[in-house]
This record gives sequence, structure tokens and C-alpha cells, in this order.
Amino acid sequence: MTMPRSYLYFLAVPLVFVADAAFAHAIVVASTPLPNETIAASETEVEVRFNSRVDRARSRLTLVGPGGASVVLPLADGAAETLKSRASGLEDGRYRILWQTLSVDGHITHGEISFQVKR
Amino acid sequence: MQLFIEIYGFLNVTLRGFILTAQSLTLGGLAFLLLPAVAEARLGETARRRAERLIFWSALALCAGEALAAAALGFMLSGTLGLPAGELLGAEAVKIDLLASVLAGAVAFFISSRRDALPAAGLAGLFLLATQIGATHAASRLDHVAGLYVAEFAHMLGVAIWIGGIPYFLIALGAAQTGSRRYVAARFSMISAAGVAMLLGAGVYMAADYLGEPEALYGASYGVMLTAKAGLLLGLLLLGGMNFLTGRELRTDPRGSVSRLRRFAEVEIGVGLTALFCAASLTSLPPARDLPNDRASWNEVVERVEPRWPIRLESPDHASLSTSQPRMIDPGAPRAYAMGETAAPPRNAEDIAWSEYNHHWAGIFVLLMGLLALAEHDRRLAPIAKHWPLTFLGLAGFLFLRADEEVWPLGHLGLIESLRDPEIAQHRLMIVLIILFGLFEWRVRLGKLKAAWAPYVFPVTTAVAAAFLLTHSHGLANPKEEMLIEITHTPLALVGVAAGWARWLELRLDDGPARRIASLVWPVAFILAGLLLMFYREA
Ligand SMILES: [Cu+2]
Repeated sequence: MTMPRSYLYFLAVPLVFVADAAFAHAIVVASTPLPNETIAASETEVEVRFNSRVDRARSRLTLVGPGGASVVLPLADGAAETLKSRASGLEDGRYRILWQTLSVDGHITHGEISFQVKR
Repeated sequence: MQLFIEIYGFLNVTLRGFILTAQSLTLGGLAFLLLPAVAEARLGETARRRAERLIFWSALALCAGEALAAAALGFMLSGTLGLPAGELLGAEAVKIDLLASVLAGAVAFFISSRRDALPAAGLAGLFLLATQIGATHAASRLDHVAGLYVAEFAHMLGVAIWIGGIPYFLIALGAAQTGSRRYVAARFSMISAAGVAMLLGAGVYMAADYLGEPEALYGASYGVMLTAKAGLLLGLLLLGGMNFLTGRELRTDPRGSVSRLRRFAEVEIGVGLTALFCAASLTSLPPARDLPNDRASWNEVVERVEPRWPIRLESPDHASLSTSQPRMIDPGAPRAYAMGETAAPPRNAEDIAWSEYNHHWAGIFVLLMGLLALAEHDRRLAPIAKHWPLTFLGLAGFLFLRADEEVWPLGHLGLIESLRDPEIAQHRLMIVLIILFGLFEWRVRLGKLKAAWAPYVFPVTTAVAAAFLLTHSHGLANPKEEMLIEITHTPLALVGVAAGWARWLELRLDDGPARRIASLVWPVAFILAGLLLMFYREA
């Protein structure tokens, strides 16, 4: 957690530290669907584009359905900075795409993109 | 595993800092022995053997550090993705760490074998450096890759030659005869100037590419860290410049004192290390160019850092804090998280006021400390002022009450119960450390602790703590807010670095103007730190 008060101790804290947030590199530049987009179909393309090249074999897209059940999406080939897949058999309700990625320089990041299906 | 995921970010930054240090020492030593500018003949057998030993141990440390980095990343991937071991070894970043580990092992092997294997060690060192670029931002960029590769290579080599070379310079200086000291000093000046030139040229190129536009220097976390690094560099150049002048004096008077040269070089090593850890922290941030929409404007920065009176000396009511309120769910989730990072708990205006109040009071304690330390210079005030370390006890007491609002005596959690939360437990441990630290320095000031190392605890602790403040890993969930917090804490860290090393100089230098200046610099740095805390704002 990045809480400013943790830094109060800076005058006497060489050995102990607050396990601050974490490592970061790949961030989302664009995505399909967009965050909070509403989709009127039972199928959609899923594409997350990052600011850096990613190691696809060590990255993952997971689709979480309205009921909470999750499925790992198979990744298709594509540009070096994207994770690409398809989600099908969608029903009405709120879905989340959880992504985790390893950038080529060795940094892991994760996040989620939430969208809605309404037909 | 959950704990590992949570601390992975910090672990990784620290490990990278360690790797950069070991790498700079290894390559700096190789450069020192191999570059023609160091006259072979003048480096005696003793100095040579000592230098080789230092290279050997740094290379071994590097070998271990890289292996550890590979293991940590593998562990992380298997823990979060559940991949089998074979898959993990295929990761580009794991391969790079392992290869670097092997090459570092090779350097250690060559340097410890026959003397004519030195060029082989140098070659392995160059390959090692080229491999290492794979773990920098350059490797994952989408454009200007070639230019960035060259720049990262030159930058790291420049650092190694300059900062990594200083310990070898000290070794050579220590073993040199009075007459040849000036050669050692002059030659090292030459190599380090070359190192500085490489480092600066490559650094400016990379900064331009990663920042995108000059506004990012203050508007984005990446830029703020870079500015801090530039500040440290400026300090290093200042020290290097003074050493250059001292070296010139030696030329006219070979019998002149080399002690000042040595003391400044020690501080250069310390500040250099801080800069390396700062660099490690920088690799954990996405380049500012990639976050064009999460910038703070100049006005927002000024709004945040401009000192404003009155400071907050009255606390908001505990009942109004969000720990006392029912939790609400934030609808606007951020776009990315760093590993281990979770959504921040909601904060209301009272939370912010609470935190500001804490900072402002802590600032008063630190200010008092600085003023008393300064007053120690006055013979009449000294009998009282020399007790300044006791202000740490006041600070500790204050933090005990205020640092964790959810804990006894103010919050609902019991004292023992609260220790199960690792964050609170850490805070409590720090409070204990602050008390011990204050009492320790107090006894040093009173002359009751006579061990030769005892006076150094204070400067080293301060400098290391300040370095940690620069090194913390970064979250991604709210880049702009994070940056605005950083822009208030980074100056604090820089002031802390200055305080720690100035006190070190005061202890180490022979009596003279340089020592007197150092003895004034550190209390003033504390006063500045106090003022920065007193005018700290969170919104
Ligand atoms: Cu990176």
C-alpha cells in the first residue's frame, strides 16, 4: 500500500520498510472491449494492447462471468505488444477480463477490464 | 505465497539495486586494471592483489544476485500462473538473468586464475554488460530499440568506470608511495572524467526518449525519480570536482595530505550507491512517455508543494476517519496494477487531514532536532543542546499514538491483536528502532559509548534510510496521485542523503574549513527536512 504516513519514519528506518506497492512495467494502452463498454452480442474479440513487448507464453487472459465462474482464454498470435483472444457464448450480465503479463524486460503487471453484455 | 507476491515489488527493486552495485564494482575494477590510463607499473603488487580480490568477490556476489533474481521471477510466475518449471526457464527475462549469472561466474573464475586471464575476464565483463541490457527498459520498448540499447550500455559502463572505480582508486592510493600518489590521482581523474562523459551523454539521450516531453520531469513519477537522480549526480560531480582540485594540489606538493581525497571518495561511494538504488527503482516504473494522460500540471505541483500557513496542529476527530466509516466500493477502477498491489482503501478529507497533522507534528520534532544540533556549536547552549537525540523519543511517542489510527489507544484494535497485521507490526517495530536509535546516539553524544564505530551509526542510518525513501517500489493504480506524493517526499530523501553524508564527513575529516562546513550542513539539512514535513500536503 502506498500510504504517505509510512514515510514518516524515514529518519530511522534503514532495516525495516513498508512492503510498498510493487513492480511495474507493462501498462494498458488500449483495449477491446473498452472498460465498461456494453456489448450487444454473444461473442466479442478480446484484445489488450500494452506499452511494451510482452512474453505471451508467460501472460494470461482470464474471463470471469456474471456468476463468478472463470475461464482462461486461449491466446492467438498477434503483434508483440498485444494479448489477443475471443470470448464466445456470452450471456447478459457483467463480465471481467483479468489480465496478467510479463513484459520482455521481466516485469509482471496485472489488471482487469470490466464490460457488460446486454442484448 | 501471498506474502511473497506482496513483497515481490520491493524485493525486486532491492535485488536490482544490489545487482547494479555488484556489477559496477566488478566492471569498475576490470576497467581500472585494464584501461591503459592506469600505469601498470605504478600499481604495486599489493594493490593489484587487493583489487583482484575485490573484483572476485563482487563478481561472485553478482553471480548470486542474478541467480536469485531468476529464481524470484520464476517463483512469481509459477505462483501466479501455475506454470511448470520448463515453461519458466523459457521466459526471456529468466534466461537473461541466468546468462548474466554464468558470465559473472566466468569473470570470477578468470580473475582468480592466472594473471594473463585478465583480458578474458574483461571480455566476459563486456558480454555480461551487453546481456544485462535485456533486463532494462530498452529490451521491451517498441521503437528506437537500437539507440536505447547502445545508450543503456554506455550509461551502465560509464557508471561502472566512475563510481565502481572509486574503491579501486582508494586501494591504489592506499598502497602508493608518496611520490606516485599524484599519478594515481591524476590517472583516476582522467578515467572518471571519461566515465562521467559517457554516463551523461547516454543519460540525456535516454531521458529524452523515456520522458517524451520536458513537462514529464515534474509531472510524472518517472520524471521525478529522474530529477532526484540528477540531483544526486550533481552532488557527485561536486565531490568529484573537489577531488580533482585536491589531486592538483598533490601535484605541486606530493607530500600533501591525501586524507581529504580519501574522505570525499568515501562519500562519493555512498552517494553513488544511492544513485544506483534510485536507478533500480526507476526500472520499476513505466516510462513517462507511456502515461501521457496521468500527468500532474505545473499548477497542481505548485499547489501541492507551496508552503502554506498555518500548519495543521489540530487533529480531526477520530470518529470521522474512514476506518470508522462503513466501506464503500469505488466504481472507477484503475487500468493496471503493479504486482501485489491492490486497490487503495477509500480516503476522505478527514483521513488526509489526519495524515497531514501527523506529518506536521513530526516536522516540528525534526526541526527541533536540527535547531538543537545547530545550537551545539554555541558553547553556551551546548550543555543543553547536546541532548538533541532525545527528540527521537518524542517523535517515537507521537508515532506510537498516531501512526496507526485503527489501533489502541485511539482505534478499536487491541495492541497485541493489531500486531497480526504485518503493516502495523512493522510500524511498531520501527517505533522501537527509533527509540533505540535515539538513546544510542544520545549516549554517543554524552561520550558514554566509546567504541570507534559508534558515532558512525547515526550518519549511516540516516543516509541508508533516505536512500530507502528513494528506492521504494511504485504502484500503478493511481499514477498521478502517487507522483504528487513522491514530489513531496523526494526532496526529503535528498536532504536526508545530504545530512547523513555531511555528518560522515564531519566525523572523518581532519580539522579544517571542509570539516567545519560539513558540521553545519547536516543540522541545516535536518532543519530543511523538518520544514518540508511541516509544510507537507496530501491534497
Ligand atoms: Cu520495465
